[in-house]
Amino acid sequence: MQLLEQPRPVPFQRNHKIRDAISFAIYQMMERDPSIHLFGEGCGVKVHYDAPNIERDFSDRVHTLPISEDGNVNFAVGASLLGVKPVVDIITADFLYRAMDSICNTAAKLNFVRPDQPPSTIVIRAEFLTGGPTTGQRPEALFCHIPGLDVVIPSTPRDAHGLMRNALETPGVTLFFEDREIRDDLLKETDCRIGGRLAVGYALERRNGNDKPDCTVVTYGLMRQVTEEVLGSTLNIDLIDLRSIYPIDWMAIRGSVRRSGKLLVIEPDVQYGGVGAEIAATIAEGQPGVRIKRLGGRRATIPATADQHRRMIPSVEEIVHAVNNW
Amino acid sequence: MPSTIGELTLTERMLLIRAVEDKLQELCLDGLAGDLHFSKGQEAISVGVCAALRETDYVVTHHRSIAHAIAKGVPLEPLLAEVLGKSNGMNGGLAGEMHMSYPARRFMFCWQLVGTCVPVAAGLAWAVKNYLKTDDVVVCFHGDAATANAQWHEGVNLAAVQKLPLLLVCENNHLAGNVREEHYQPVANVRKRMLGYGLTSFMVDGNNVVEVHEWAKEAIDLVRRERRPVMLECNTTRLGRHKQGQGDLRGKDEIAELALRDPLRGASVEDRLPFESQIDAIIGRYT
Repeated sequence: MQLLEQPRPVPFQRNHKIRDAISFAIYQMMERDPSIHLFGEGCGVKVHYDAPNIERDFSDRVHTLPISEDGNVNFAVGASLLGVKPVVDIITADFLYRAMDSICNTAAKLNFVRPDQPPSTIVIRAEFLTGGPTTGQRPEALFCHIPGLDVVIPSTPRDAHGLMRNALETPGVTLFFEDREIRDDLLKETDCRIGGRLAVGYALERRNGNDKPDCTVVTYGLMRQVTEEVLGSTLNIDLIDLRSIYPIDWMAIRGSVRRSGKLLVIEPDVQYGGVGAEIAATIAEGQPGVRIKRLGGRRATIPATADQHRRMIPSVEEIVHAVNNW
Repeated sequence: MPSTIGELTLTERMLLIRAVEDKLQELCLDGLAGDLHFSKGQEAISVGVCAALRETDYVVTHHRSIAHAIAKGVPLEPLLAEVLGKSNGMNGGLAGEMHMSYPARRFMFCWQLVGTCVPVAAGLAWAVKNYLKTDDVVVCFHGDAATANAQWHEGVNLAAVQKLPLLLVCENNHLAGNVREEHYQPVANVRKRMLGYGLTSFMVDGNNVVEVHEWAKEAIDLVRRERRPVMLECNTTRLGRHKQGQGDLRGKDEIAELALRDPLRGASVEDRLPFESQIDAIIGRYT
């Protein structure tokens, strides 16, 4: 199935293919499930520009809330108690800090304290942008600490669609990130072909080589596209796109590392205390002898301009150097 | 012994709550229960308000939740088992007093974090109005201290903007844990805060169960009729400590003076006896 092109009232400069795929998944699920409602600050406006099909067909299920991120998530929790499946739009990932209490203290604990009741399904959306100290952060690793949350970061429209379908079909609380730095013009045609539901916790493995790859590269989100562009299809490596950083597909990582003996984790988030550290430590404990390297963002405040921001995540040179020098 | 809360008089309901909490306090002192939060002195509010609700109306509340659960008709057996952390408690013993729920009696949610219950109650009221589309109302109990918290304000703002069928019942005991109101309350009455949201409020003597009940009926009727949030501020006295296992900044004299306003002042010990034997029988099975 090809992704439906959305009619756009305003021409957008930003990448939109992953967003369209998410909107398409939500549209499909709203058609089937009348309990799905969209909430968020400026939600109606956003749907108007980004997903006019949803606005046209489900206008009574799109609800604009105030700029009160924390209250909005708690509000969604309350609605979920009566069977509503809320999709809460936090907008920018940095704003998640505003809502950490309601996400980590309320939503994540909700199904645990109600073991005999129908579990709530709640999806919390946020996007990664560039723009400065508080408009470009990647707080995803923080949420991996919190039991009760799934943390999803697709890197292609196909995965974004399948994982959003899954988030809305499966009980539980999902933090769904949208990486707006992933470039539309570099997406492969196959990555844009929409499929079905995609269960969370399964990585996408791209094997370029033979049974004995030179190394295993584990990455996710934006860094998957950057890495793929850098490495092309000539090198004999296994590239693993996690797609969800909780749960993590350990079987895929372990299987590849067993063949390659070398693990390189490339993450767009701050490297210090991040997902790469967890993967490196787990592999080091379970498979001693594997050589491990990490590349990630600097633990530094993000400057205002996009090109300065890009200098804070692993560069092409660093990736090439890491892959070629063990 | 009547089988449901609805068969008891208002005073009997308060006595039942007091008897349950006194018994649980003994267990706390013996180390058989955790550091529970009790409503001693505040029982008239939960009893007066819940008696004015339909069975199908919803209750959301804060961490001091045992009185609200009993007043809303949650049966004692699953409630006590939950408070004592037993697996056949109403939430498998996982939630405890501060996170328990019993949807069969429309006792929907309570949460430890101060203020959280308000936006959650607003969301619930949103779903009642716009998803289930019934004329039930949601009551959200909260303390006066919660009104210093952003979650209270965000929740009230959401409820006001969305015109939701929500009755906010403020249990104003003039304390935030062990902190006096001069440190968190810039207004003489909590209800003044409602002016900022364009919402109606009433203030009553929260220790007079008949007065609470009569005004709660008025307020609930208004919420149900006009589908908009209303506050009932109940001026009350917490006679016990904030929670077990913690000291109390108030001296004996101050508490003795507050006890003159005890809604159960003058109630006889004999009136509690039938409840006590029932509570003892349940607790005997779990301790």
